[in-house]
Amino acid sequence: MQEKERTLAVIQGYISRMPSLPITVSKILQICNDPRTSPVDLNQVISLDPVLMGRVMKLINSAYYSLPNQITSLVRAIIMLGINTVKNLALSTAVLGNLTGKGNFQALNIDGFWRHSLCVGVTAKLIAIKRKRDAKQLEEYFVAGLLHDIGKIPLNNKMSAEYVEAMALSERERLPLFLTEERTMDVNHCEVGRLILKNWNLGAVMEDVVFFHHFLEAYPGTNRDMVLTVAAANHFANVAQIGFSGDRFPDKLPPVVLEELGISFDDIEAMEAGVSREIEKAKIFLKVSE
Amino acid sequence: MGMRVTFWGVRGSIPCPGPTTVRYGGNTACLELRFDPDDRLVIIDAGSGIRELGESLLKRDLPRGPIRTRIFLSHTHWDHIMGFPFFTPIFIPGTEIEVYGPVSYEEDTLEEIVGGQLRYRYFPVRLEELQAKLEYFQLKEGQKDLGAGLTVTTKYLNHPILVLGYRFEYQGRVFCTAYDHESFRNVFDVQPDQPGYDPEAVREGELAAKEENEKVARFFQGADLLVHDTQYTAKEYQKKKGWGHSTFEWAINAAHKAGVKHLVLFHHDPLRTDAELAALERAYRKAMEGKTSLRISVAREGTTLEV
Repeated sequence: MQEKERTLAVIQGYISRMPSLPITVSKILQICNDPRTSPVDLNQVISLDPVLMGRVMKLINSAYYSLPNQITSLVRAIIMLGINTVKNLALSTAVLGNLTGKGNFQALNIDGFWRHSLCVGVTAKLIAIKRKRDAKQLEEYFVAGLLHDIGKIPLNNKMSAEYVEAMALSERERLPLFLTEERTMDVNHCEVGRLILKNWNLGAVMEDVVFFHHFLEAYPGTNRDMVLTVAAANHFANVAQIGFSGDRFPDKLPPVVLEELGISFDDIEAMEAGVSREIEKAKIFLKVSE
Repeated sequence: MGMRVTFWGVRGSIPCPGPTTVRYGGNTACLELRFDPDDRLVIIDAGSGIRELGESLLKRDLPRGPIRTRIFLSHTHWDHIMGFPFFTPIFIPGTEIEVYGPVSYEEDTLEEIVGGQLRYRYFPVRLEELQAKLEYFQLKEGQKDLGAGLTVTTKYLNHPILVLGYRFEYQGRVFCTAYDHESFRNVFDVQPDQPGYDPEAVREGELAAKEENEKVARFFQGADLLVHDTQYTAKEYQKKKGWGHSTFEWAINAAHKAGVKHLVLFHHDPLRTDAELAALERAYRKAMEGKTSLRISVAREGTTLEV
């Protein structure tokens, strides 16, 4: 137990300085150092970085703005905060990334993790479209998917040796990664993820997605729709092997999930081309033009 | 009876004395608010105009006792705080000033930003050497009871840094400031053939901008006197989008719709000459004739208006 508390304390300390993904850093710098920053580009680059997305959402939902309702739309956040403020935030987050460097991503492969997160975000949104959810909520599905594995970042960066071990153990014993995380570090990425989202103050819906995406049967709350959608999208990303988030032997998706969502796995698989196209577009966008 | 406002600085960006700004004035933002019956003083902004206000206080207020006031800063851009080191009352023992203002999330404290101008690299006297009692309070959106029936409500506006508009209510009268402020706009409304075009973002952006503009309008709804940023004409604005300032046209329309009684056009561009300001006032008054009960005036240094 003491060990776990020590781990959580280390992670708490890291959360406030968590850098953006190395994969987006150069593009952030390019966009933000342009005196005529395009809000469209700014929006796009933030959408492609779970940490940055979380930071912007944290600011707009912070006591600074004491807004009556939770803001989950990045477009709205940029309009309300103003481009300069968002640029400053993006730059400071990117600079943290430059300081810590790529060496920090030791166990997980950065590109794989980034593709997986993006795939789950895009798929969750496509599932929501297919299920004719309110257009105003679509972005929230994307954000939830993008952030679902955020808890892996501190574990991977601050407990690298243990994380390598957790991944190896998962391979050896054919166990889902969250279980072997618990064995090697006493905590899993869902718990850590919830810690981050609490720190970012992103609200109950996002917290539930992050905390329960591997514990669907135990889920007691009212945000089932979002939690199940992200779980289904996560399952698809693993099956289709789009990106890799360290989980070679993920837990099975309980059949009740698709039933409850009223969608078949074939429906989701049919989205594969669309998802891949979005990821490739993002990849091209992130290439820094000379 | 009630409230009076005196304009000590009406210019935006930088002081611009010279033959073409003599009539309306070249000092940057500073307003003096007075409240009957005891002539209570509130200051808004510490642009270069506050220097002359300071001199006036020494003559008028100091003989009656130490100067005690509150300064409300709209924001900490330089043209709104640059006069602070030259505000003579801060050097006089017995003076008590509370400084209020917004601070962007990543910045230093209000004391470091405003008081930090008093250090040797900028100024021959250090903050620590001052004899006056200065206190600083960071403000967010909200409401504050200033005592004796005076309340102030604050509202975030749209500018490259955090800005607050102020709404003072006293004895049933309402005085508002809305500067520096550019109307919220949908920055995602790009052409469909542009890279990154996203119809959902366009729709959400449209809605967000509209709702934010409605919030600002509600903030100055029914004001007896509104001092609003009008740095640009609609034509000039085309090249100044995103700079954080409004147009005459926007301010007049917004004030009319919000049932404002008297709109004061404020934060004049440094390039705007006296002749241009007079001509603009005439032209807008003419265009508004018979269409609204709203009165408009161009802010002019040294004038006092009843609220």
